[in-house]
Amino acid sequence: MDPQSTIILGKAIGAGLAMIGAAGGGIGIGISVGGAVMAMGRNPDHTATIQTNMILGVAFAEAVAIYALVVSLIILFVLS
Amino acid sequence: MNSFWNGKRRFVALLMFLAGVFVALEVPPVIPFIQLPGENFPAGYNIPFTDIRITNTFVAAVIVWILLLLFVVYVIRRRPQSATEVPPGGFYNMFEMLFEGLMGFVGGIAGGRHFRLIFNMFMTIFLIVLVANWMELVPGVDTIGFIHPHVKEKYDAETDKYKVVTTDGFEIYQGFLGISYVNGQCDWISPADEAAADDAALVQAQAAALAAEQALIEDAAYARYQAAHDDHGDEEQGDHADEASDDHGDDHAEEVKESDAAAAAYNDVLAAREAEKQARAGRGCYTGVAPAPWQDGYTGDDKSAKKDIPLHPDPSSEEAKLVPWVVLPFVRVASTDLNMTLALGLISFVMIQYVGFKALGIGYLTKFFNFSTLFKSPLGGIDVAVGLLELIGDFAKILSFSFRLLGNIFAGSIVLFVMSFLVPILPWPFFILEFFVGVIQALVFALLTAIFMNLATISHHHDDDHDHAEAH
Repeated sequence: MDPQSTIILGKAIGAGLAMIGAAGGGIGIGISVGGAVMAMGRNPDHTATIQTNMILGVAFAEAVAIYALVVSLIILFVLS
Repeated sequence: MNSFWNGKRRFVALLMFLAGVFVALEVPPVIPFIQLPGENFPAGYNIPFTDIRITNTFVAAVIVWILLLLFVVYVIRRRPQSATEVPPGGFYNMFEMLFEGLMGFVGGIAGGRHFRLIFNMFMTIFLIVLVANWMELVPGVDTIGFIHPHVKEKYDAETDKYKVVTTDGFEIYQGFLGISYVNGQCDWISPADEAAADDAALVQAQAAALAAEQALIEDAAYARYQAAHDDHGDEEQGDHADEASDDHGDDHAEEVKESDAAAAAYNDVLAAREAEKQARAGRGCYTGVAPAPWQDGYTGDDKSAKKDIPLHPDPSSEEAKLVPWVVLPFVRVASTDLNMTLALGLISFVMIQYVGFKALGIGYLTKFFNFSTLFKSPLGGIDVAVGLLELIGDFAKILSFSFRLLGNIFAGSIVLFVMSFLVPILPWPFFILEFFVGVIQALVFALLTAIFMNLATISHHHDDDHDHAEAH
């Protein structure tokens, strides 16, 4: 295999492995949305507050997945 | 007006949809090129009075500042001057609604002695990030720009300068989803450099030929000298004339031989140069295209230089095949540049520490260096470790702030232009998604700053003791 292909192979595998971290973000979003929906079901009057806080929490959980994305983007496009 | 449009809007929408189909078919979208750092403008577009090249994210940041300044001027001028004046409607009213809503929101989180400072910080960051994020929804951002062969600036350690390498040299691999990436196998060599290298090879060849000739002449002279020495004793004076003519004949014969050797040396050097060129071409590196505006050696007056790389090359032409074409957008969303998000993160970090010192004085430092309980309680060492961890955590906030914003918006803009490339007609749902991501990220950035600033104003010890007292 020529060196160029090896580099591309390595980058692709590395970027793919880095994206495993996105799973954590997904789990977090699932838990927080599940909790929020249950809370909304119990007291629908507070839907607005719960929704705001849920979206914030989702954004934080998503941030972890985004770190993984940044790492994999750096592997793909910045490393040479 | 309303009655005129009733029932006709759907046809306008249909017309625009058909126009979208037509445009997508007629002018296929450019393959997106993804680059993480902000792209430099071509040579000559410097920040005034400096050597610093303008980047397209910087342009976006300047636009954000201008928009916000206009906004501030507008709000100040439209603001009701007295309590009895009827508030103006329209856009100003919308701003007032936003302002009051956010004021209540932040008041619930950080309503204390430092509310004004915290809220000012919150609102500033929120507006900057919001306007910066929403710019990715504006048509033309990220898509209109210099169309140019794929170039890249590369640091040259020898000359301590950034040099532009490209296009002819670079191969573009087309990966998944049309995302292309660059193979930096060979550097761009300008035609001038190539000609100079050719000249150098010629000079070298001539020198080699001359050297070969010189060596032969010296050899011959030495041989003659040797022969003359050997024969000197036996020869008579009378034969000298004959000998001289013989020598002359020999010289002539040798000269022919010398020329052959010189020509061989000459051809060897040139053949080596030719082989080098062939090898470069074999790797997919080409030269001979005139320098484009962003390359060294380009002269603005020279029309012929521009003609060699047309701005819109015919895809079937030979010269277009040499070059991978990409767009360098005039404006790229400022939040997709780490410089911008890191600057905001640093500002927010500094403000957190500032408000901490303002609220607690020098005692704020005990949050990080907590030795007060070290000898008093058996677990005092844990407090020290916790304080140090908090110090590290505070610096980690900078990274977390900047990467959160960068990652979200950069990923969003990639989604937007990859989708525009894949489904040129219907990328709207993703624009709606990015609209919300822009708001949420601005809110998260500003809100986290407010929360951390509020946390910094609260005395650590007092709080702890309070909690303990309550718990027991």
